[in-house]
Amino acid sequence: MDGSSDNTTRFSRRHFLSWIITTVGAVIAAVLGSTAIGYFISPAFQRKEENWVDLGPIGTFPKGNPTKVEFVQRMRDAWVTTERRSSAWVLTSDGENYIVFDPRCTHLGCPYHWDEEKKQFLCPCHTAVFDVGGGVVSGPPPRPLDRYQNKIVDDRLYVFPKPTQVKT
Amino acid sequence: MRNNRRLLGWLDERTGLKKIWETLFARKIPESKGSVAWFYTLGSACLFVFVVQVITGVLLAMNYVPSPDHAYDSVRFIDKQVFLGHFLRGLHKWGATFMVVVVLLHMLRVYFMGAYKYPREVTWMMGVVILLLVMAFSFTGYLLPWDQKAYWATAVGANIAGQTPVVGSHVAKILKGGEEMGVATLTRFYALHVLVLPILTALLVGIHLFLVVWHGISEPPEKTNRQIESN
Repeated sequence: MDGSSDNTTRFSRRHFLSWIITTVGAVIAAVLGSTAIGYFISPAFQRKEENWVDLGPIGTFPKGNPTKVEFVQRMRDAWVTTERRSSAWVLTSDGENYIVFDPRCTHLGCPYHWDEEKKQFLCPCHTAVFDVGGGVVSGPPPRPLDRYQNKIVDDRLYVFPKPTQVKT
Repeated sequence: MRNNRRLLGWLDERTGLKKIWETLFARKIPESKGSVAWFYTLGSACLFVFVVQVITGVLLAMNYVPSPDHAYDSVRFIDKQVFLGHFLRGLHKWGATFMVVVVLLHMLRVYFMGAYKYPREVTWMMGVVILLLVMAFSFTGYLLPWDQKAYWATAVGANIAGQTPVVGSHVAKILKGGEEMGVATLTRFYALHVLVLPILTALLVGIHLFLVVWHGISEPPEKTNRQIESN
């Protein structure tokens, strides 16, 4: 500021006005700037939406044998909602504890099926075989079948359709 | 402190910063008192609102899609989901209203003080074009939310343009980007609103401000002898 050329030690009118202008300007810039920056960087602090899918009442799943369940997964991308048809294998022995398998073979992602007689999961692509618990029996898969997290709320089974690997 | 001064000195030597600062901000302005002094702030107010519109507009464009499928939903998304989105969109909307008001007030003050006269005619002409650009901003921006009000306001606007003798139907088609209002209208208005108009406005505001600084601010009109006598 060129007000510094003023040699008087008291708070001059010019100083006062320039101080007021600077202060008000700084406040306006701070409000505008923080709004703009907040808006711009907000994606970094966005909570990821947990997309649990309702698979229906737990009574409907037979005990002992894995059942294939088809479901529609709704995915939100900003203002766009897309629906994706998907499926999972549900396994329960007591009707209370559930294991839900990702429907893709861990080798190359082919859909496998349950062989009722052999009591094994068979993958048609490269003849992979998994046991009822998802463990590799034979074939090329590098790890047991991937699983989906599941939970039971009000006697309904919910899954979170994101594959999680099982440690071998 | 001393380092600051050295840095400034270094910059000044290489950019002429001090001279620029003095020319732009430390220039002499006419002495005026009371309400008359406040009228001189309207031009700066216009520039300030324009800057706010540019900043908020750029940020809104980050979440907006100019397509009938997405326009309304993306605006809703900004309003309901994006952090501070509602406030930011509010700023842009009210800023747009203020822009028109402040620009018109600025024009009235220049007119009533006779500040458009020799040698400032070109400054005035640039100002008139900027006023038209502001109106074009308002018209094109109004369509973008793609709600009922936006759609029908633009339909009415296009129909008004269509009433022009001889060339009317062509003008309406050019505005709408086709026979009927639709996808092409929205993309066309969006392109005008965020590309064409801002560039033109920035250019003209630059010329306008250069002329303002070059001429200096006009003195408030003096009272004539008769007015002084009657007082």
